[in-house]
Amino acid sequence: MRLSELWRIAGVVYKEIAFQSIFSLRSGGLLPSKTGTDIRRLVRNAQSNTLLSKILMSLFIVMFAFMILFSTTYRETGVISLSLSIVGDVSVFLAILLFLLIVMGLQVTTSFFASDVIVSLNALPLASKDISFISLLCFARIFDLPLLVAIISFPLAYLLFTGSVAGSLVVVLGIFVTEVFALALTTALAKFFYSRIAGATGGSAWKTLLRMALMLVWVIPIFGVYIVTSFWMEIANFFMSLTQPALSTSYAILAVYPFSYGYLASQVTVTEGMDFVSQVIAAASSICYFALAIGALTWTGKTIRSIGSVGAISSGRSVVKDTEISPQGRLAGIIRKDLRVASRSPSYASFLLLPAFQTAVLAFSFSTFRNVGFGETLGMLMGMSAIAILLPPMLFSIEGLSSAYARSLPLTKKTLILAKATLATVTYVISLIVLVACTLYLQKSIFFILAYGGIHILSVTAATMVESLLLVTMFWKSGFAIGNIYTRLTTYVLILIPGAIVVFAPVLGAILLAIFVSDLDFVLLWFATAALLMFIVAAFLVGKIEENKLDRRTITTIRNLKNQGLLNSN
Amino acid sequence: MLLQKKPLQPRTRFGSSTTNILQRMLRKTENSVGRVFVERAAVCVKDLVVSYGSFIAVDHLSFEVKTGEVYGLLGPNGAGKSSTIKVLVGVLEPRSGSVTVFDTPLAEEVAVKSQIGYVPEEVALLDALTPREFLEFTSSIRRLDRDTANSRLGKLVAAFELTPHFDTPIAALSMGNKQKVAIIAALLHEPPILVLDEPLIGLDARSSRILKELVAYQARKGGAVIFSTHIMEVAEKLCTRVGIINKGRIVGEGTVDELRRLVRKAEGSLEDVFLKVTEQEAGIDEVIKGLAEE
Repeated sequence: MRLSELWRIAGVVYKEIAFQSIFSLRSGGLLPSKTGTDIRRLVRNAQSNTLLSKILMSLFIVMFAFMILFSTTYRETGVISLSLSIVGDVSVFLAILLFLLIVMGLQVTTSFFASDVIVSLNALPLASKDISFISLLCFARIFDLPLLVAIISFPLAYLLFTGSVAGSLVVVLGIFVTEVFALALTTALAKFFYSRIAGATGGSAWKTLLRMALMLVWVIPIFGVYIVTSFWMEIANFFMSLTQPALSTSYAILAVYPFSYGYLASQVTVTEGMDFVSQVIAAASSICYFALAIGALTWTGKTIRSIGSVGAISSGRSVVKDTEISPQGRLAGIIRKDLRVASRSPSYASFLLLPAFQTAVLAFSFSTFRNVGFGETLGMLMGMSAIAILLPPMLFSIEGLSSAYARSLPLTKKTLILAKATLATVTYVISLIVLVACTLYLQKSIFFILAYGGIHILSVTAATMVESLLLVTMFWKSGFAIGNIYTRLTTYVLILIPGAIVVFAPVLGAILLAIFVSDLDFVLLWFATAALLMFIVAAFLVGKIEENKLDRRTITTIRNLKNQGLLNSN
Repeated sequence: MLLQKKPLQPRTRFGSSTTNILQRMLRKTENSVGRVFVERAAVCVKDLVVSYGSFIAVDHLSFEVKTGEVYGLLGPNGAGKSSTIKVLVGVLEPRSGSVTVFDTPLAEEVAVKSQIGYVPEEVALLDALTPREFLEFTSSIRRLDRDTANSRLGKLVAAFELTPHFDTPIAALSMGNKQKVAIIAALLHEPPILVLDEPLIGLDARSSRILKELVAYQARKGGAVIFSTHIMEVAEKLCTRVGIINKGRIVGEGTVDELRRLVRKAEGSLEDVFLKVTEQEAGIDEVIKGLAEE
């Protein structure tokens, strides 16, 4: 079959995958309307959303390519030489590109692997070879625009700022290697996810914990991108600092990707400042990485092609020893279910794991402080609780995964609110424990963290209860599908704002009070009172929620039916 | 009353172990409920209207299901069967009308849902969980105690041969096995009302037979079953009464005999009656002839 025809078919498959990735957000939920117009709008949304995501990613790459070269290479500070600036710029661009492509890949490749659409092509009169090739082309279409933009924009920016054609060509080589590494890593992570996490058998608490730990492999790159996009300037400076000793004391860094390409580009652009051995190491390492990339490309191609013939999901089958179950109370049942779902879903796991991970990373900034006092503690608590208030919408969206079934279960609004608020609060408490542990490790005082962090649990609980209350009020009837909760930004923001007010008011009040009152005991008292007040108000509101309480007539009817043996006692 | 005259008995030629399990299950429960039940309205639907935007899926639909009945909801695709069932189990909000379960209005969500076991048409369970984890969740929500749940579960899992798949994520199960998980979840709390939306789709012959026996038994012990199916033979054999829905309205209701009398020209089978009352009979011969000519 001709390449153009295969490309066209791959386009149809890609559209279906894009649709499924959006449609899955509504799966289990109820579509607002079953009319054809609505579905057509959903299909159009899916296509435009995936295109928009690719365009945004490409724009960020272009902006980043020019910004990083402009801010360091062009604007000579006199502190770092031009050659070292180039090393830093090229290295940090490659590292960030790798992260961005992996994260983008993880999001869409999940749908690509989970979709059976490639396997369904086997039923059509197409050769196996063509189906394999369509898989590969379809995979390429997920990344096409960002890959193309990256390999054009940065070399172009490099040429503009340095005027070196040879340097630009080295950069092209580095970007090619980076892109291949990103595709291979994405594929490997997707395979890992399906074999060790999604398809993992067993239901013990230990296995759930183990899956959560394995999920870190999936989650850390996502957090990496968050760090990279937020602190790219600091990272660039850090990379610069790494490059400096290499020229004088150590050759090791020259052999490490992505520095080898940074050094090679610098070497051919600014032909001074590097000895012969450094030049050889940088060039040899770059060639080795290129060879590795070719191998990785072959492996990726082979793996992607295999989806067309055997599918991606391989489920495990363990020997079942018994069929005993351990029912618990409703609250514990919901929390346990949420944890189990999260342990098999990267997006949900990331929400639960990232707060603790982020706290650990940020806590090490305490190492530069003489002591961890009032200001540092409250700053950290604000960061931690900002993440905590994002949790309720995500936790409620788990209910949407099978709402078409789960809504038939006898579940009360209050139970659901308390379960979600408890889990969100526990996530905050775990972050607090991590913060205490890191602070103790750094041998700093934990007094403020224990005092304010402990009291702040009340505010976090109150905030998550208020958000849960709003979510239940808004979506109890229409269902908690992700598509319903996150579709309208205004709705989502309206849920977060009250939560933010509840959680930040005591903190901001304490900070303001501390400016005018020197007595920190008084500030602590105010903080505790405000937090307690928030908690009492939130608990009162949840207690007042309308629960379709049974009236006297209904209670009598049910009692009579039970006496007649017509109703069971549950 | 078709089935009350000729109730289904476990007369199958399954493997002896399966028959024994099933018979033990039925006998034990039969002994425990070996009393004459009072016939009364289990589910009462009045003037139900369900709409999706401007599209009316269910149009002022009314019917009643009594204890001891297996009520079959029949209708062509898109007739409104599943929408009606989703309202009964609290998954869908009606635009208007009333539904009561043992005289309890549907608004009393928890009380009503506690008495219903539901098998949805599209088995959208929590795919990330294994059957064990899923059933633990539903049992927790239904507040089943450990011993009671495990005693019932062991028998159901063995009867439906789900043991080898008990720790496999639901996402990786076949459609039939997913259906079995949903059926077990619906039966585990021994609800007085079973609402089954196309429950036989995807089931193997053995499991299908077991489910049919369980449905018949549910009615005999004084429970009620609302059963939606496309398979006319199943409805004919299993259902005490049948309601035929077309374009969101009940167009025929009664026992199969009553429906035959209602539609004089129907030759006898429920399929003929069904095609007649849903006005789908016209043109079938021409369509078949046209296809054959091609």
